[in-house]
Amino acid sequence: MDQHLISWIVFLPMIAGLVLLFVPRELVKWVALFGSGLAFVLSLLLFKTFWGGEAAGVFGDAYGALHHVERAGWITGNRFSIEYFVGLDGLSFPLFLLTTFVSLLACLASFNFDSWKINKGIKAYFFLFLLLETGMLGVFVSLDFFLFYVFWEVMLLPMYFLIGVWGGERREYAAIKFFIFTLAGSVLMLVGLVAMFFYSADAVAKYPELATSYNTGAQVTTGTFDLIELTTNEAIQKHFGDAGTKLLDVRFAPLMFMFLFIGFAIKLPCVPVHTWLPDAHVQAPTPISMILAGVLLKMGGYGFLRLCYGIFPLGGEFWASFLAVIAVVSILYGALCAMAQTDFKKLVAYSSVSHMGYVLLGICVMTTTGFQGAMFQMIAHGISSPMCFFLVGVIYDRAHHRQINKFGGLWLSMPRYGSMATLGFFASLGLPGLCGFVGEAYVLLGTFQAGPHFKWAYTAAICAAFGVVLTAGYILWVVQRVYLGSVREEYKSFPEATGREMLILAPLGALCILLGVLPKQSVFDFMNGTLNLLIDQMNGVTQMAMAAAGG
Amino acid sequence: MGNYEIALCIGVVAPLFMFAVLAFFGHRIGKPTSGWVAVLGVLASLGCATYVLLGWLSATDKAALMATTGYDWVVLNLFGNEMPIEFKVKLDGLTVMMYFMVALVSTCIFVFSIGYMAGHSDEVDGQCKFHRFFCYLSLFEFSMLGLLISSSIFFLFVFWELVGLCSYLLIGFYFDKKFASNAAMKAFITNRVGDFGFLLGLMLVFVFLQTFDLDQAAANFRHQYATNSGIFAADIDILGWHVSGMGLATLMGIGLFCGAMGKSAQFPLHVWLPDAMAGPTPVSALIHAATMVAAGVYLVARVFRLLTPDAQFFIAVIGCITLTITALIAIVQVDIKKVLAYSTLSQLGYMIFGMGVGAWPAALFHLITHAFFKAMMFLGSGQVIEGCHHVQDMRKMGGLHKKMPVTCWTFFIGVLAIAGFGIPGTHFGLGGFFSKDEVLAVAYERTYNWEDRFGGHEKDDGHGAENAHSATPREDDLILRSGKVILASGQVHDEHGSEEHDADEHGADEHGAETSHGESATHGAAAHDAGHGGHHDDPVLAGIAAQQHKIPKWMFWLPIIIAYVTPFYMMRCWWMTFMGKPRDGHVHHHAHESPLMWAPLIVLAIGTVAASYMMFRPQLGEAAVIASDAPLVVAVDGEVPDKAQHELLGLSHDKDKDPHGALIGIVGFSWLVGMGLAILIYRNGLELAERIKRLPFVGFIHWCLMEKLFFDHIYDTVLVGGTRVILSGASNLFDILVVDGIANLLGRGTVRIAEFSGNIMDTGGVDGLVDAIAESTQGAGEMVRQPQTGKIRNYILFGTTGAVLVLAAIIAVVMS
Repeated sequence: MDQHLISWIVFLPMIAGLVLLFVPRELVKWVALFGSGLAFVLSLLLFKTFWGGEAAGVFGDAYGALHHVERAGWITGNRFSIEYFVGLDGLSFPLFLLTTFVSLLACLASFNFDSWKINKGIKAYFFLFLLLETGMLGVFVSLDFFLFYVFWEVMLLPMYFLIGVWGGERREYAAIKFFIFTLAGSVLMLVGLVAMFFYSADAVAKYPELATSYNTGAQVTTGTFDLIELTTNEAIQKHFGDAGTKLLDVRFAPLMFMFLFIGFAIKLPCVPVHTWLPDAHVQAPTPISMILAGVLLKMGGYGFLRLCYGIFPLGGEFWASFLAVIAVVSILYGALCAMAQTDFKKLVAYSSVSHMGYVLLGICVMTTTGFQGAMFQMIAHGISSPMCFFLVGVIYDRAHHRQINKFGGLWLSMPRYGSMATLGFFASLGLPGLCGFVGEAYVLLGTFQAGPHFKWAYTAAICAAFGVVLTAGYILWVVQRVYLGSVREEYKSFPEATGREMLILAPLGALCILLGVLPKQSVFDFMNGTLNLLIDQMNGVTQMAMAAAGG
Repeated sequence: MGNYEIALCIGVVAPLFMFAVLAFFGHRIGKPTSGWVAVLGVLASLGCATYVLLGWLSATDKAALMATTGYDWVVLNLFGNEMPIEFKVKLDGLTVMMYFMVALVSTCIFVFSIGYMAGHSDEVDGQCKFHRFFCYLSLFEFSMLGLLISSSIFFLFVFWELVGLCSYLLIGFYFDKKFASNAAMKAFITNRVGDFGFLLGLMLVFVFLQTFDLDQAAANFRHQYATNSGIFAADIDILGWHVSGMGLATLMGIGLFCGAMGKSAQFPLHVWLPDAMAGPTPVSALIHAATMVAAGVYLVARVFRLLTPDAQFFIAVIGCITLTITALIAIVQVDIKKVLAYSTLSQLGYMIFGMGVGAWPAALFHLITHAFFKAMMFLGSGQVIEGCHHVQDMRKMGGLHKKMPVTCWTFFIGVLAIAGFGIPGTHFGLGGFFSKDEVLAVAYERTYNWEDRFGGHEKDDGHGAENAHSATPREDDLILRSGKVILASGQVHDEHGSEEHDADEHGADEHGAETSHGESATHGAAAHDAGHGGHHDDPVLAGIAAQQHKIPKWMFWLPIIIAYVTPFYMMRCWWMTFMGKPRDGHVHHHAHESPLMWAPLIVLAIGTVAASYMMFRPQLGEAAVIASDAPLVVAVDGEVPDKAQHELLGLSHDKDKDPHGALIGIVGFSWLVGMGLAILIYRNGLELAERIKRLPFVGFIHWCLMEKLFFDHIYDTVLVGGTRVILSGASNLFDILVVDGIANLLGRGTVRIAEFSGNIMDTGGVDGLVDAIAESTQGAGEMVRQPQTGKIRNYILFGTTGAVLVLAAIIAVVMS
């Protein structure tokens, strides 16, 4: 079992999903809970990797040092080989863990399924839910582009149905919108997938002397889908980065970068391709919103780091200023939109756009600090935003509406819940000592630090820093309107958060504090190693390209 | 870790522990026990503080006490180098003094609160919020003490935000009241505006000084100044604005000061503090008078070594404006807490002004004396409000001295202290008599004696003159400064590598030093500069001083005038409350005192007297020696310990120019004049004041002051109106001018924009486009009578079309 640990974790939810189709209706949710719970427990076993050693050093001395690797041929021909290739490094490990954790809580949050407005098809719901979990976990561990793509699509369909069937009034519209946006991205990714395969074949044919595989040490002779190979193989990198390498008469690296980028940018999401998000969030049932905000958005950021910047660092250089503009606009525009909302859930959704803007900003300046900040911000947001969505869900269950202006004084009628809400929203606000702060601070410092390299970075950092004022504005304003003020008659009798609800909120709240107080021990130690190596790798490629240009 | 470090840490953690206890079990502990639990925590802090203070005072080798153990919170990466953000206890005179002051004042206020909140918690919501109050107070205590022991600017910022959070929670303690939650929000957001500047400062410190440690940053700053490298050689574009060298260093200083502007409520961010009085009175005393608002001054004191002359001048101007306008507004307030709030603002203005003119120890001295007497007066007002059943309007009070003798006379001591009561020329006086006098003396020195002493000349234009001034003898300056630091304390020199470097550098021969600093023209120009201004025997000092601004006269005279105004409005407040005849029988009848509440007043009164004379002043002088070792700072102060006397520039001892002597004539009896005038006007009740108010011109001024000089209106108009004008044309300007309501700094204006972008643009624009395309494809589909008209199909069609369009766009961009 130990050597197939990852596969077990990835497919366990799906197995549980299949099992629950054959159990009595009352047991369905318990099977689902067991499935996602076991996946979470098993994923905790991954920590064994880090015992007895400095965590940062675990990931070896070159990018692509992995743990828990499993690779086997899947679809092989004589010119190509698609592998079942999974493994963990510092990029995927924190996100992988986050996924099992948030999924477990979301599963728990689905336990009041019977009291939902649409409470038919509990089996289908939990089956799709668990399938979705498998898809998400698969995306984070796949290191073969083809496999990655498959999981990416596997994730898409359950989400479509979960929103479209169990959502709010405009669920179909929202589901289709979500589907289309994501699909548009997938199309471009598919183009990239194919192009990268053929170009890598060209590369190894062109520079056979450089085409030594990181894995076997032998010479690579065919095109590859191996993401690590694509990143680290010198022949491939040299060919990809060469100014003479063109697709449709366009330089290859910037073009491919943008193909992949758009797909991930839609997921992240950035302005202007963010509009699926508020709709999807508002219509989706609470647990699905938690998953969506907590995990799905992170795939965008993960994709940037793993694919866009890993394989095409020169594309990152090329588009940096453009991406920074998008990032800053996302931060400020998202915050302003959040401020304008009257629907509580939509507000939280727009706040995600704003927070994810920091992720993009941290990444696009291509500094170590920026990368670390972006990763941390993803994890932190993966904790705080499910919490906020669940907090909204709790009062929606009671009030059956989400109009901010109709609430008031909820802290008085639900003191325990009110305290948790304050904690969650202040974490989202980026208060020091809570998780939201560290990522933002890192991103800002990382961006400012890029000043000598990118002239605009100072300005970008300052504009982004202004986001903290806007964020404080909309968060405090909503807290005031919903939780403060005198208690309204109709909400006086609201029951305090139940045990189940506290069971979901308490771990999230505890993590908000833990990540804020001990960011190094809780997050950075597990990813810094790989991020540093990634940066080294990227710098190597950039220098190679500069040398080539100079020569 | 040394004992003192441990003690300081325990003192910080104890309230945090009590916070956790109260947060989880507070509702079971109940009332009033939960209050005593919190007191227990803060008593532990006080114990630790006393232990450290006594140890510090008795230590002969203070450098040996300095903290040595650090904890790397995170490790940042800066240009490929590792740069840890370290948590380390800052252990020096300033921390010890402040820590003790905060712990002592807090203890008094915590005890007072038990009495006060007994009548103020339950009635609010029918539930026991009593424990929650002490829960927040404990959290505040933790954050505030944490702020004081942070040795890194980064952690200063962390705790900075945390005290802001506590302030938010406590101002909004009666959050069921709309005005309270508005005030809380206003406070937090206004502070965030300041923190935005703070963040900018932090980023500049990070990138250019490459450390967050305060001492190390100062050392690097000095080194960079000496070698004309780092921030002094940098050259960047921010928001299309080109800044470089000294200008950038100034920007860094001003950025850091922006944080202080928020927390210490300096103009133009002062608007939140009066509103913050919506919180319970003990909170006003603790957070909004004695400790948190003073944190801004503390911050400036801590980063003093990173301030350029321009930044200092900026700080002085801000302080001067704040102390003036807020004192004027205080004159007309009728709410007892509002008077105290505005007087706090004004006194904070004095402190910031003092910092700006270089009176480092004087400003902090004033901070400490002020903390005692202002906390005392706030608690007194709390006692009055409690006794009078929540009446805060002074017009309904009067004659309370018989009912509340202790409150009355402790309050009177506070009035004397803030008024600067004392016999000029002797050492008999209270609080402000010493501390404010020192600030003003330095201001006098900078205004009138500057040229004579140093041949310094007023800079007409900071940036224009910059080039000329950068030609001061930097190496020589360093010799002087390093020498001073070594002599004064020894520890700074020993601790930091780069200072060693400095020292080595001046040891190197002149030629080598010159070649290593590309700009070798420096020396010639420097000689010229010194010679030019030089009817002075020390060209080095002249060089430094030449960079310091001579202060314009109005910046000396405004604080002087306000020194007359302060006694007036404080005496007015006291007289209206306690003296004269009772104006409201009902209120007067109910008035009473309770021992739990007046005992702390007496402790604070003793503290006020003690602070004026003993403990703090010499210690601060000693701390100043370390704090003012910046390359561009001339510490102007005479009253430093002998040991440091000859290294710092003292005040003039020339008899003709002695500022203290001059001040006796100018301001020595201001307390008598101000207080006398107040008694004259208010001795027979309010009639005379009403008559004066009806005078035509006075009436207008009174109206302006009652409207708080329109700041809230202006913010409202500019932020709300400005955007509204943009949106709906200038048609309803009148409406905007009369718009009242919260002056939320973000304002409804931003919300307007947000609504526009959020609703109209997003749903109308982007989504509209998407939908339109989808519909048109659907239309196209129907036209060709495709059998399957499922929506998904069309969306996929759209998706692919979109993808192709994007593709085309990318190709276009990349190819260009």
